[in-house]
Amino acid sequence: MQLNESTYETIFLLYIDNELSPKEKLEVEDFIAANPSYALEMDALKATVLSTENIPYTFKENLKKLEQEPSLELLDQEWNATYTTILKEEIQAIPGLSTSFKNALKKETASEGILIKPFGFNQNKFTYAAIAACLMVFIGYQQLTKTSVSNSQASNGLASNSNTLIVPNKSTASTASDATVVSNSSQPANNTEPVVTKNQSATIKLQASKYSIKRRSYNFHNTSTAIAETTRNNGNLNNQAIITKLPSSYNNPMAIDAVPTETNSIEVDTETTIDEKASRSYEVIDTEDPNRTIFIANFEIDGAAFRGITRRVSALLKRNKSEKEK
Amino acid sequence: MTDKEYNDCVDNFADGVYRFIVKNIRHTEDAQDIVQSAFEKLWVNRVQVLPEKAKSYLYTVAYHQMIDHIRKSNKMPLAEESLIPHQPINQEQAELKQLLMRAVNQLNPTQKSLVLLKDYEGYSYQEIAEIMNLSDSQVKVYLHRARLILKNKLSAYAPTTS
Repeated sequence: MQLNESTYETIFLLYIDNELSPKEKLEVEDFIAANPSYALEMDALKATVLSTENIPYTFKENLKKLEQEPSLELLDQEWNATYTTILKEEIQAIPGLSTSFKNALKKETASEGILIKPFGFNQNKFTYAAIAACLMVFIGYQQLTKTSVSNSQASNGLASNSNTLIVPNKSTASTASDATVVSNSSQPANNTEPVVTKNQSATIKLQASKYSIKRRSYNFHNTSTAIAETTRNNGNLNNQAIITKLPSSYNNPMAIDAVPTETNSIEVDTETTIDEKASRSYEVIDTEDPNRTIFIANFEIDGAAFRGITRRVSALLKRNKSEKEK
Repeated sequence: MTDKEYNDCVDNFADGVYRFIVKNIRHTEDAQDIVQSAFEKLWVNRVQVLPEKAKSYLYTVAYHQMIDHIRKSNKMPLAEESLIPHQPINQEQAELKQLLMRAVNQLNPTQKSLVLLKDYEGYSYQEIAEIMNLSDSQVKVYLHRARLILKNKLSAYAPTTS
């Protein structure tokens, strides 16, 4: 700030308007003390300042408003503020209460909402259960279609007589090729020999010679007769299974029981002299007997269809995963 | 602003606003009406007005209503001696005060309001600029011009009075 003849008036006006800093005010006062001729100018400007005077306004009471009591809304807001700040701390200080119960008492926590999850629900478990259900339905469908086809084939081709079923019986591997007989209802009943023919024998080489006697028997109606037995001749490994006799009812295919009581009559590995292909034999089973129980099990998986299912399942899982990520 | 804060504003600022208005228009009843209107507007808008801004708000409203009143009535000077009560002062001070008020009343309304707000209320240039909707430099220039006019008028009256 430079005080001279051209600037003093502006600075003096700022001085009387109290717009200068204390330091600048001192500079002005020093300037006036050094130049007394400017003191009159300063006094003249100071004379233009109005002195404060009190002019009261006599109607103040008319301007005032009645102070209303705070509304319920304001009281509620104040109470909420007090509750959230003070009472929360007091609740935390109470001993013996669980943390979850204390949190439930907090107003802030309650206003945030509670996420309710169904008990035991897991989306992954649900997905696996759905896949398993689909597989079971598919396998069951395949099973039904296979069973119906085999039934129709059996009824149409292999057995001309609808009352008989041909069941392969691998347990009769000890029989000779010429002893394997496929039942044929067109032949006379006397010629039907499901396992072995009469007066024929099969030679079986037994590796395990320690078994003294292995016996195979079938339950026939009203009788139990051994149809083949293996004997050991004083430690000779080459034993012979000889059909000694057949029951009289054996000629009747209706009397044959399909389930042998001892299925593992010859348990050891056998080196048969007969052809493996010829070792398969069939038994004729009567399906009209109400007392008969037939166990049929067949499980087959179509490779192409199973591959298609696995691809669809994997695509479904990938789609669900991508939707979750979105 | 609460009801209590509004009533506090009445107690603290009613006299100053009334003085500012009555010194400008020199009519007590009109000044009272303007003050009442200003406080009524403050009451209506009390939710938006902060307590610390209430004084500036009152002066701003009163100033603009005064300008509207002056433009409508177009009647400025009345016999200020009969309208404005005077405090008991000595003869010399009374004469000097009368001379100054006579000079102030000869200013235009803007310059007069500037002088009153500065001298009576002690507002800074920036606060006056906000109330009167002017810039800081305008306030400075107008006020300096008013001071020089008053100084010249007082110097012109002084030889006659002395």
